[in-house]
Amino acid sequence: MNTERYQRQIILKGFGMERQERLAMAKVLVIGAGGLGCPALQYLVAAGVGLIGIADHDVVEISNLQRQVLYASSDLGLLKVEIAAKHLQQLNPEVKIILHPILIDKENVLDIISDYDIIFDGTDNFESRYLINDACTLLKKSLVFAAVSGFEGQLAVFNVEDESGIKTNYRDLFPVPPANGEIPNCSENGVLGVVPGIIGTMAAGEIIKLIAGIGKPLINKLLHYNLLTQEQYEINISPSDEYKQLDSKTDFMNRYKENTSQSYMEIDMQQMNELRNHPSTVIIDVRERHEFPQLDSNIYKQVPMAEFAGFASSEIEEQNIILVCQHGIRSVAAAETLHQKYGETKNIYSLKGGISKWRRHFLTTQHER
Amino acid sequence: MQIELISFGKISDFISNQNIEIEGIETTDDLKKYLEKNFPGLADIKYKLALNKNLVQQNSEIKNRDSIAIMPPFSGG
Repeated sequence: MNTERYQRQIILKGFGMERQERLAMAKVLVIGAGGLGCPALQYLVAAGVGLIGIADHDVVEISNLQRQVLYASSDLGLLKVEIAAKHLQQLNPEVKIILHPILIDKENVLDIISDYDIIFDGTDNFESRYLINDACTLLKKSLVFAAVSGFEGQLAVFNVEDESGIKTNYRDLFPVPPANGEIPNCSENGVLGVVPGIIGTMAAGEIIKLIAGIGKPLINKLLHYNLLTQEQYEINISPSDEYKQLDSKTDFMNRYKENTSQSYMEIDMQQMNELRNHPSTVIIDVRERHEFPQLDSNIYKQVPMAEFAGFASSEIEEQNIILVCQHGIRSVAAAETLHQKYGETKNIYSLKGGISKWRRHFLTTQHER
Repeated sequence: MQIELISFGKISDFISNQNIEIEGIETTDDLKKYLEKNFPGLADIKYKLALNKNLVQQNSEIKNRDSIAIMPPFSGG
């Protein structure tokens, strides 16, 4: 270890070489290399955390650049984990960086997190957040949770015991995941770039505190931060009895078993192209009108989520209904709405990964306006 | 009696931070009913209450001058 690199923190009272060595021995997994993940990664790598995993399957989009500060305008379309690793390795060649360029799902999550000591959840959707929370709780992994909305952020440390031996997790706060579309995400609600910058940096601080064993990490606490007022509000979390504890991998897999009542299908671009040639097919873009890239409204019928309930109350003539949105999350909510209405009488599809995943296709066809 | 309401995220779009005068409300369950009736937007989303900065996990007594935080989950990153 090049101690000169870390000299400013080694000389800190209450830190010293011993804590620096603990950082060098630590293994941290950052899930989501986005607005929260970028600053967290920068500070963790700079501080000398020995091994850092980065999990993200997305490519860089222009709308990321306002807050995801590891990426440049020349990186559009490239894998985030690869760009991030390149910069981070230049920042600190002593850190070992492992790339996981995949979407974390129920099949791979337990394997991936089992190799790490501390997991950072910087993802952008509830599905991933509950999955990561449950996997970390089952494997008793420390989990630093960070999330943002608009001008506000939330931060907490889960699965770490306090002095009384009590530990909590995200389900103690919110036992049941919100329904799709119930709580808006950043692409619908917006976020000021500096907010994930602040919360992601605070999360890196919590991770360093946990590894080094200094200060008071946010164990059994939820911190709310508001940029507009610069107010912080801290809430004490106590265990809830409103959810079932997971005792085994079987419990975990059962919780995430495919919902057999689901009858909409998630499809890829090739399947969508086959379906679009069918005469009785309609493709509906459920993004807000301001979102890019804008698509040809003659081909993609525009019905933003805010108007979707009203739209769904009228009859759709076509037999095949394909829903698309930016990331394939809102389109699932819309598919569920239509499935409730039509059941098995129509074929309902959602484009998996959304326009961002198939961006090249949407941009290279003449469908774009 | 008077209590303080503190709201976060999407909930602050329709419930601003305020002191409210309430009568006949003695517990957090009573308060939930009152809030969902007066702010119908609340009935459609998941939220949690914190009474004097402690998460409410079961029905709890509310006293004069208590402060109640109303929190939605955030997912953005």
